[in-house]
Amino acid sequence: MRRRSFLRSLSAASVGGFAVRGFGNPMLGPLLDRSAQDRVLVIVQLYGGNDGLNTVIPLDQYSNLSTARANVLIPENEVLSLQGLGGATGLHPAMGGMRELWNEGKLSVVQGVGYPDPDFSHFRSTDIWETGANSDELLDSGWAGRYLHQEYPNYPIGFPNDTMPDPLAIRIGGPVTVGLQHLGVAMGASIYNTQDGLDLTGNMFNDPITADCKGSKLDFARQVQRQADLYGNVIEAAALPSCNLSTLYPTGIQPGAELAGQLKIVAQLICGGLKTRIYWVSMDGFDTHAQQVVAGDTATGAHATLLQGLSDSLRAFQDDLQLLGVDDRVIGMTFSEFGRRVKSNGSVGTDHGAAAPLFLFGTNLIPGMLGTNPEIPANVDTNTNIPMQYDFRSVYASVLRDWFCLEQTEVDQVLLDTYQPLSLVDPTGCIDTGVHALNQGAGTSLLEVFPNPFTESTTIRFETYGGRVMVQVFDAAGQVVRKLVNSELPPGQHTVACDLGDMPAGAYFCRVQNGSQQQVKSMMKVR
Amino acid sequence: MPVTPYTGTFGREELKHLLRRTMFGATNEDLLAFSGQSLSQVVDALLAVNIVQTPPLKNYWRLNGTTPDPSLVDPAIPFGTTWVNTPNIIGTVDANVYRMASFFSWRVGLMVTQPRTILEKMVLFWTNHMPIQTSVVYNGLLFYGYDQMLRQHCLGNFREMMYDVTVNPCMLDYLNGSANVASAPDENYARELMELFTLGEGSGYTEADVQAAARVLTGWDIREVLNSVPILPEAYFRPENHDSGNKTFSGFFNNTVIPGQTGANAGTTEVNALLNMIFLKQEVSLFMCRELYRFFVHGEISAQAESQFIVPLAELFRANAGAPDQMETVMRALLTSDHFFSAGIRTCMMMSPADLIIGTTRKMKFDWPSETTQVEGRYKMFQSLFYICVNCFQNLFDPPSVAGWPAYFQTPQFDELWLDSAAYAARNSAVQGIIGQGFNTGPEFYQAASRNLLRKPNLLAAVAEMGDASDPNVVVAGCADMLYAIPVSQGILDTIKTNRLLLGQSNDTYWSDAYEIYVADPNTTNQTAQMVPNLLTFMLLDMAKAGETQVF
Repeated sequence: MRRRSFLRSLSAASVGGFAVRGFGNPMLGPLLDRSAQDRVLVIVQLYGGNDGLNTVIPLDQYSNLSTARANVLIPENEVLSLQGLGGATGLHPAMGGMRELWNEGKLSVVQGVGYPDPDFSHFRSTDIWETGANSDELLDSGWAGRYLHQEYPNYPIGFPNDTMPDPLAIRIGGPVTVGLQHLGVAMGASIYNTQDGLDLTGNMFNDPITADCKGSKLDFARQVQRQADLYGNVIEAAALPSCNLSTLYPTGIQPGAELAGQLKIVAQLICGGLKTRIYWVSMDGFDTHAQQVVAGDTATGAHATLLQGLSDSLRAFQDDLQLLGVDDRVIGMTFSEFGRRVKSNGSVGTDHGAAAPLFLFGTNLIPGMLGTNPEIPANVDTNTNIPMQYDFRSVYASVLRDWFCLEQTEVDQVLLDTYQPLSLVDPTGCIDTGVHALNQGAGTSLLEVFPNPFTESTTIRFETYGGRVMVQVFDAAGQVVRKLVNSELPPGQHTVACDLGDMPAGAYFCRVQNGSQQQVKSMMKVR
Repeated sequence: MPVTPYTGTFGREELKHLLRRTMFGATNEDLLAFSGQSLSQVVDALLAVNIVQTPPLKNYWRLNGTTPDPSLVDPAIPFGTTWVNTPNIIGTVDANVYRMASFFSWRVGLMVTQPRTILEKMVLFWTNHMPIQTSVVYNGLLFYGYDQMLRQHCLGNFREMMYDVTVNPCMLDYLNGSANVASAPDENYARELMELFTLGEGSGYTEADVQAAARVLTGWDIREVLNSVPILPEAYFRPENHDSGNKTFSGFFNNTVIPGQTGANAGTTEVNALLNMIFLKQEVSLFMCRELYRFFVHGEISAQAESQFIVPLAELFRANAGAPDQMETVMRALLTSDHFFSAGIRTCMMMSPADLIIGTTRKMKFDWPSETTQVEGRYKMFQSLFYICVNCFQNLFDPPSVAGWPAYFQTPQFDELWLDSAAYAARNSAVQGIIGQGFNTGPEFYQAASRNLLRKPNLLAAVAEMGDASDPNVVVAGCADMLYAIPVSQGILDTIKTNRLLLGQSNDTYWSDAYEIYVADPNTTNQTAQMVPNLLTFMLLDMAKAGETQVF
C-alpha cells in the first residue's frame, strides 16, 4: 500500500475526533519509511531584488544610514532588535513573525550574500542565482536541476517508478524556470493547484515521431502530456486539506496570502507523503524603485507589506510543519536576485544593488547570524554597494553537503567548482541508509560512462532501440564539445571511446538520443 | 549580402505556415481568400495594415439597488460610446477599473476578429518587446494611448518609435521615468532601454552608461490635470528637474559626451542625442532582428541562421534606418525569405496561448454579438477569452516582467516554456471549453439584448468549407488540416471517423445520410440526423487532445 493512500483511508475513517497528523502521529510514525533521504528543501524566491538594508537593519550603522537613505530609513526605535546580537542588528518592524522564529532558534541570517562582479540586470542576475553561474559565464542548467540529476541520473527515462513515484521537484504558482532545468529536461513539475487531473484520450495519437525539428517539438508536447497526467494524479491523491493545521496563515487580502497559499500546498504534499525533494515558491514585487515606503512614515508602505507577507507566511508554514510533526524533514531558504543600493533615490525608493542578507528557516539548521553587519561609509554616492561576504554558492554547498548529505566531490560536480560550505545546517542527520544508491539506480539506464571520473579518455556504453542514434558530449556551459555517434545502429548495447585529452578538467555531460528517448549522464575529467 | 528570397513552391502548406505566424491561426476562410495568390501578393496584403478601429466603448455600470445603472460610473459618457476622449475624474468611483476591463475586452476582440493582416501579431510582438504590466500601471487611458502608439509605429521606423516610447506617459509611469529627477536619478528606464529595448544584455554598454543615460532622461513627467482642469494624460518636460550637466559615455559609445542642455527643449534635444548615439551601434539592428526571429521564426538561433539570415536582415534594417517604412521592409524580407520557409525550422514552435486560444476560436466561426446593439454581451465574451489566456499563463496585458514572456528569450527552452504540466492541463481544458461549450453571457446586464446570450461554434459552416462534407473522410481530413500543423496518419483519422462520425459502424453512408438530412432541414425529426452537430463536437473534442495541436 502506498503511504498516502494509507493516510487517505485513515482520513476517511477519522470520525470521533481523531485528527490525521501526518508523520508526527506516533501511531503512524513507525509504519512509514522516514529516512534522512526524505529531506525537503523549500526555496522561496523574492522577485525584484529585496532591499536588504531595510530588511536586516544594521543598527550600529544607523548614523551613516541616515545620511545615505534618510527618506526610506526605518525609525531606530521601531526596528525589531534581534536577541543575542547586542542590539546591533534588527529586523524590519513588519517582520514580527520571523523574529519569533529567531527567538525559537529556527531562523538563520546570512549577511552579505552575493557573487563577484555583480550584475544589475534583473534577468541576468536571476539567471546567475538560478544556474549558479559566474558573472561572466552562461549556463544552460540550474543548480537545483543539476542536484536532482545527481540524485536521479536516469530521469526522466523510466520515471515515475517504485523508488521515485513522485515529481522530483514541484514549482507552485509559477513555471519551471532554469533553476530546475538540466540540459533541456525540466526536472520538476509545475502546479497552480492540486486538482489538475487530465482526461486524455489514451494513446490514440501515437504516430511515430519524425527525426526533425518538428518531431522534437511533438515529442516534447507528448512528454508533458504524459507527465501532466501521471503526476497530476499523484498530486491530487497526496493533497490533503486536513494536512493544514496552522491557523496563522495569512488569507484573503492579508499581506502574503498568495505566498501562504503556495506554502499550504507544500505542507499538504509533504504531509500527504510525496517524496519530492524540492519545492519552489515565489513572491513578486520587491523591485522598489519608487514609493518603497510611505514618505514620512517609513515603517509602512509597499516594502513593509511585502516583508510582513513573507514573514507571516514563513511563520505560519513553520508552525504548520511543527503541528504536523514533519518539521525535522524540512528547511527553507529565501533568495532574491540582488539587494538594493545603499543610497536611496528621490522617488522614495532604492535602485538595483548587490549583496544582501539571505534567510534559512527550519528546525534542523544552526540558528543565528553568520557574518557581520555591513559597514556603511560616512559618504556614499549612487554607486556605493554592499560588498559580498559570502558567495551564494557557498550557501548552496552547505545545503547540498549538510542537508542533502552529498559528498564534497558530488557537491563540486553540482556547483561546477569548489565552494566552501558554511556552517548553516546540522550535519549529524547524514547517515548512510542506502537510499542514495537506490535513487541512482531508479529508472532505466541507457548510458554508462566508465571509468568516471577519468583523466584523459573514457568509454561510453549505451543501449539503443534501433534507428538513428546520437551521442554527444557537452561541457558544463552546454556547448557540444564532441559528437561521438550520429548514425543508424542496430538495437542493443554499443560502446564508444571518448577522448577529452585536449579539454580542461571539469564537469561534462554525455547525452544519448535514440528517437524519442534521451538521457544525460555526468562525467568528470580530473587532472 | 542580401537576405536570400524564397523561390520554392508556394502551395497550401506554405500559405498556412505564413498565415499561422502572421495571424492567429489559419482558418479555412483565410486560406480560401488567399488561394491562388503568389507569396509576394499575400505578403503585400498582410503588410497593408489599417490601424483605424472603433475605440473601446463604455460597457460598464454599477448597481443602483438591484438595477444596473451606467450613470453611476463615468456619468459623462453615454453607454455604448467611447471613453478614450474623456479624462478620468477620480471621484467616489474610480472608473479606471472599468475602463481597463473594457480595454482588455476590446483588444482581445481586435485579435479574434482580426482582418487578414499582420497588424495584431505585430502589436503583440511589440507588446512582448516593450511591455507594460497592468500589475504596475492600472490606467485605461494610459494603456489605450500606449496601444495606439504601438499600432501607429508597428511597421514604421524603429528610431522614431523609440522616441515616442521613451516619452510615452504610460512608459514614463511604468519604468519610473516620471520619478527620474536630477537630484535623484532613477535608472529603471535607462537600463531597460539599453538592455531590453535596443542593444541587448551584454552588448558592451557599461553600468556607468546606464547611469549617464538616466541623467539624460531626467525631467520628464506626466500630468492628468492642467490649470485645475482634468485632461487626458500627457507627458511633459520640466526643465527644473533636468540634470543639465554634460553626460559622458564609455568607450563602447566612443566616449560620446551629450552636452547638458537647459530650457524647455532640453529634454527633447537630449533624448534625441541619446537615441542617436545608441542607434549608431550596429548591435541595435542585430538585437532587433534576433527579437523578430524568436517571435516569428524559431526560438533557437543557430550559428548558421545568425550568419546567413540575421546578419543580412540586420544589414537591411540599417540600410533603411531613415526610412519611414523600415519595419515593413524588414518584415517583408523576413516573410519572403528562404530561411522562413526552410524545412529545418518550419512547424517547430510550441504555440503561445494566444496562438492556441485565439487561433482555435477563430476556426470555430463564432457569430459574435453586435458591436452596436449588444456591445455589453460582445465584450463579456471577449473578456472570457482574455481570462482563458490568463489561465493558460499568458496575460496579454501583464507579461511576467519588463522582459516580456520568457518563451521569447529564455535559452535553451524558448517556446517550450509555454508548456509544462500545469499549462498543459489549462490549455487542454481551455480548448475543450471553447469547442464544447462556447461563450455565454448571463441575466445581469444593462442591455436587454446582451442578456442570456449563448454562442456556440458553427461547426456545420466550418465543415462545409472543407469540400463535400457528406463524405466523412473529407470531414475528418478537413478537421485535421484545420487543427494540426503536423499531419496525423490516415490510420488514426480512420479510427476517429469510425469512433465519432460513424459511431462504430463501418459504412460511410451512415454519416452521409444523416448529414444530408440535417443540412436539408436543421429542424428534422430524424433522430440520427439530429445528432450531427454533436457528432462533430465530440470528434473535435477528441482531436484537440492530440499533442499535434500544440505545435505550429
